[in-house]
Amino acid sequence: MKILVLNCGSSSLKYQLFAMPEEAVLIKGTVEKIGSDDAIHAYKTDGQKGETVSEILDHREAIRQVVAALTSPEVGVLKEAAEITAVGHRVVHGGERFSLSTLINGEVKQAIRDTFDLAPLHNPANLLGIEAMEEVLPAVPQVAVFDTAFHQTMPMEHFLYPIPYVLYQRHKVRRYGFHGTSHRYVTSRVPALVGRDVTGLKVISCHIGNGASVAAIWRGRSIDTSMGMTPLEGLMMGTRSGDIDPSIHEYVMEKEGLTFDELNSMLNKHSGLYGVSGITGDMRQIVEERSKGNTRAGVAFSMYTYRIRKYIGAYAAAMNGVDVILFTAGVGENSPLLRRSVLERLTYLGIEVDDRANEEGKGERLITTPNSKVAVCVIPTNEELMIARDTNSLVTGLSTTPDRDSISFDT
Amino acid sequence: MNINSVGIVGAGTMGIGLAEMIAEKGLDVVLIDKSETELNAARVGLELSLDRRLTKWGITEAEKKGILSRIRLASDLTHLAECSLVVESVWEVLEDKIQVLQQIEAVVGAETVIASNTSTLSITEIAAQIKHPERVIGLHFHYPPLQRDVVELVRGLHTSEQTVDDAMALVRELDKTAVRVFESPGYITSRLMMPLINEATLILAEGVATSEDIDLAMKAGYGFSHGPLELADRFGLDSCLDILESLFHDTADPKYRPAAYLRKLVRAGHLGIKSKIGFYRYDESGERLEGRR
Repeated sequence: MKILVLNCGSSSLKYQLFAMPEEAVLIKGTVEKIGSDDAIHAYKTDGQKGETVSEILDHREAIRQVVAALTSPEVGVLKEAAEITAVGHRVVHGGERFSLSTLINGEVKQAIRDTFDLAPLHNPANLLGIEAMEEVLPAVPQVAVFDTAFHQTMPMEHFLYPIPYVLYQRHKVRRYGFHGTSHRYVTSRVPALVGRDVTGLKVISCHIGNGASVAAIWRGRSIDTSMGMTPLEGLMMGTRSGDIDPSIHEYVMEKEGLTFDELNSMLNKHSGLYGVSGITGDMRQIVEERSKGNTRAGVAFSMYTYRIRKYIGAYAAAMNGVDVILFTAGVGENSPLLRRSVLERLTYLGIEVDDRANEEGKGERLITTPNSKVAVCVIPTNEELMIARDTNSLVTGLSTTPDRDSISFDT
Repeated sequence: MNINSVGIVGAGTMGIGLAEMIAEKGLDVVLIDKSETELNAARVGLELSLDRRLTKWGITEAEKKGILSRIRLASDLTHLAECSLVVESVWEVLEDKIQVLQQIEAVVGAETVIASNTSTLSITEIAAQIKHPERVIGLHFHYPPLQRDVVELVRGLHTSEQTVDDAMALVRELDKTAVRVFESPGYITSRLMMPLINEATLILAEGVATSEDIDLAMKAGYGFSHGPLELADRFGLDSCLDILESLFHDTADPKYRPAAYLRKLVRAGHLGIKSKIGFYRYDESGERLEGRR
């Protein structure tokens, strides 16, 4: 059984082909600069790499090329396109409608369209990918896996903002949260690492990449997360500000004579590590500059870790305790320094870091000592695999739908 | 129609602004002007504008590079051959526009839409002298095109439905808002704005109020983002005068008669931001020197 996983951007797409249920990746690739005459399709299989540059004017053409590559004798991962059992799509925003992955039909597409306003950069591209795929492989079932779905278990008192309630009623202004597929994947790895079922655990998951979010996961369900209605809220990120006083917006617009677009760009692209350091939004470079004595890189680093620590503290308080803390995504997986800096002032929680495991270990692992009251783990995320699993179980009818009875949250 | 590449003829203030805005939306732009002198000025203008936005956090270095990489400057009209839509943005003189449109038609493909960015002239009249007037349409972008969302989509007598659809497709692609207008002097926006600017000039010239207070009254009182005199400085006082003359001439209605003081400022070379002095004074980068809140 072969499952194709697709993540469509406005002018690019990423894909992976999985053999299920073995969960083996047969090929992964990207198409960039869709809409131009020098679009780049790059792919990698077990044995080979390839890259072609050609005219690809739209997503349909891009998908056609991908399918053609999969079935070409040179690449050789498929004999014919019909071997693809199903396609799983990453869809950023599922609004309030989707708390689980779902088979795509007309109604689901309309629901994705209905959330364009909430995710104007992502959902239109995601839908484009779905529609293009329908044209190229009309007989193949497709599944949508939403970034927001995992957080739909948040209780109302956690997802509402303390502003007039009509804004929620009229425009669905509320916290949705993102990185759900990643938080869900790393949570699913917890039993293997700590030897206990998640239903008995209070987990704080830190997805720290270029975008970053923390989720409070209680009995396997997200009950709060740092990103809000959009991915701008929460932690300080590479170039995004995260939480700031909303009155700053008006003040800065007035003082600097900015338009809304400029303000938006300032908060999303010129803030965070980049905005404070004035050098870069890349954590590796920040760490390097800081070690050379660059003060602003040092301040940026400290702010960044301070804000992660604050969220961990807040979620430990929200759940009346924490049993497991997870680090994942680019920075979370690869920066022992960041983890150490976040954790060294969380000793009040009874955390004892195993420095060797933190600094020298590789891959999925525990980085605390056996005496530590909280288990801290590093878990490389794998959203594509999660999408493949959901797609597989939905199309084989073996859907392992977790029970979604309304939960009453109390700790 | 799938629009990938847009041609712009005339690399003045508006042409440069259009090129920047269209390239920012990810389309390729061919920007044409007569000679290297104009093209060099356009290069400098583009850099200045992008750098200014960089300091205002509106774009990143990478985005600036991306935008510049999508704009090709040339003096030879044959570069327009690959464009699916061409906008002329040359000086607001009927004979010049007609000549430019004829030159464009000679080099572009049969399907190419030819748009004029005129704010007052008759599309029907501009189109009358070219072989396929049905593909000519008015696309009146407003200055500065990056910030102004409205585009007046003006049909001439011969403009075909296909041409209207294609032009609409571009407007949508650029995330702008189209208002449809049947040809009439000044369409909607110039017909309303120019008398306002003209009247503001009269208020100033009569010594009724200072320029700051005139603008402040309209900003604080009516929610204008810029007062009429600030706007006139941005448009260029010479352009305002031209438009008023043209409205006055076309309609013979005295309400459009240009204020004598406006004419005097233009004669003195006080043209607004582009000459660093108009109703207000400006520095090199177009920032107001005094009177900022």
